Amino acid sequence: MDPLISIQPSEPAAVYRPGDRFECEYQIDAVEATEVQAVEASLLWYTEGKGEDDMGVHFFQRRTSYDAEDHDLRALHRFKTDMPRSPLSYDGLLFRIRWCVRVRVFLRRGRSLVAEQPIQLGPRLTHLNPEPAATAESTGA
Amino acid sequence: MARFFRLWQKKRGERRTGSRLAGTVGEAAFFGALFVLGAVALAAYWTSQAIAPHPDFFTIGWGTWLATFVLASFILIGGAGLFFTVLEVGASAERRSALARRAGDIELIRESRSRFRRFPTIPRDVNLTNSPGVRLAYRLPGLESPAWRLVAAAVTALLCVGIDTVLIAVAIRAFHIGKPEMALNAFLVPFSSVTAWSVYYFTRQLLLHTWIGPTSVEISDHPLYPGRAYEVVLVQGGHLKVNHLRLALVCEEEVTYRQGTDLRTERRTAHEGDVFERGGFTIDPSAPFEHCERFAVPRAAMHSFQSAHNAITWKLVVTLDLHRWPRVVRGFPVVVYPLIEGAERGSAD
Repeated sequence: MDPLISIQPSEPAAVYRPGDRFECEYQIDAVEATEVQAVEASLLWYTEGKGEDDMGVHFFQRRTSYDAEDHDLRALHRFKTDMPRSPLSYDGLLFRIRWCVRVRVFLRRGRSLVAEQPIQLGPRLTHLNPEPAATAESTGA
Repeated sequence: MARFFRLWQKKRGERRTGSRLAGTVGEAAFFGALFVLGAVALAAYWTSQAIAPHPDFFTIGWGTWLATFVLASFILIGGAGLFFTVLEVGASAERRSALARRAGDIELIRESRSRFRRFPTIPRDVNLTNSPGVRLAYRLPGLESPAWRLVAAAVTALLCVGIDTVLIAVAIRAFHIGKPEMALNAFLVPFSSVTAWSVYYFTRQLLLHTWIGPTSVEISDHPLYPGRAYEVVLVQGGHLKVNHLRLALVCEEEVTYRQGTDLRTERRTAHEGDVFERGGFTIDPSAPFEHCERFAVPRAAMHSFQSAHNAITWKLVVTLDLHRWPRVVRGFPVVVYPLIEGAERGSAD
């Protein structure tokens, strides 16, 4: 059975505004303490859609067993940061910009597990064109 | 069954469908083998000379030094590839991105008072605000330079005319001495057509450049914010009979992706709003067309955005439908920032 990762932002349903204080806690269950070698928590944006995926990390924290009390990385851990001013969440025609909290757990023997909790930065912005025209061009490589 | 025989475990771009571990091991093995091959071969090559010296070994020429250069490049490429592959083992995408961001922050330390650190992923507007306007605060630069197109057309036309002239002279001489070159004559027909088209295209570009005249767009403030109104002045010179002129505020999404070995770019209009339209008038060289108008950026508009493969760009687009001329479209980029109280240029810098 895979370990369970729970992520709980302080206001999971809320829309965060740029500059807002963001607090989040996470916990790991269903795994032995000695199995967990490191945990990485990130607050990041990424794009998804027709183009190649891009990603930007706003907050990043890596903890190993030496950083944790009793060398146990499973315990509830909280982090906080200020939300950035951009990019805002966006639903476009060709791509979307998403924000999420991502927790990555590194286990023994090179295994790793990822859990995500989506959040929203800014109002829900979409494209404003009801009938968009597409133009495509290609450059050989 | 096709998936079992696929040579490259790659669906599109950087999205992998195969095992990441297997890919990393394969990459490390490739670079490692290249490094070992280069090192062993270079050592053997030079050791053989040390054991049994040859008098011509060090003479200047291609053999010895070319072999040394190629083998040394194997060592360098293999070593660097292996080093970076090993460096990435165990490092998550988030960790690499965070390290890259930290490195970027160090570079930006010099730029105190920089808005770009406080508004990540929004493109810089330095080049848009370094030219003051005559009537309003800023004169916006054009997106495309017609001069480059004109220069390219001129060079192409000159080359074609030069080659065509020489070939025609050769063909005429061959005809005069009674030995016509049929292959050359057959080649001259399509090539002369290409030359004629290049001359026509150059002439058209020259006329477009000189006859239509420059388009100038000035704006009252920059960057722009959603929901805010701005003044814009459009000045169009030339000697023209204009059927229709339109100035529009356009937002485009742009993505790039790899498809096989092609790098493709696709754009879609996410917003297009008229600033003003005018029809049925003439422009005289002594009296350029000039119009001032107010426009607003939509309140629900997305801000400008730029990442490695995805972008949202804003621009003011001038479209000219002219009498006896092809349609002329000229774009002038602007940058839209998200509207955040207390974070605008005046209060935040």
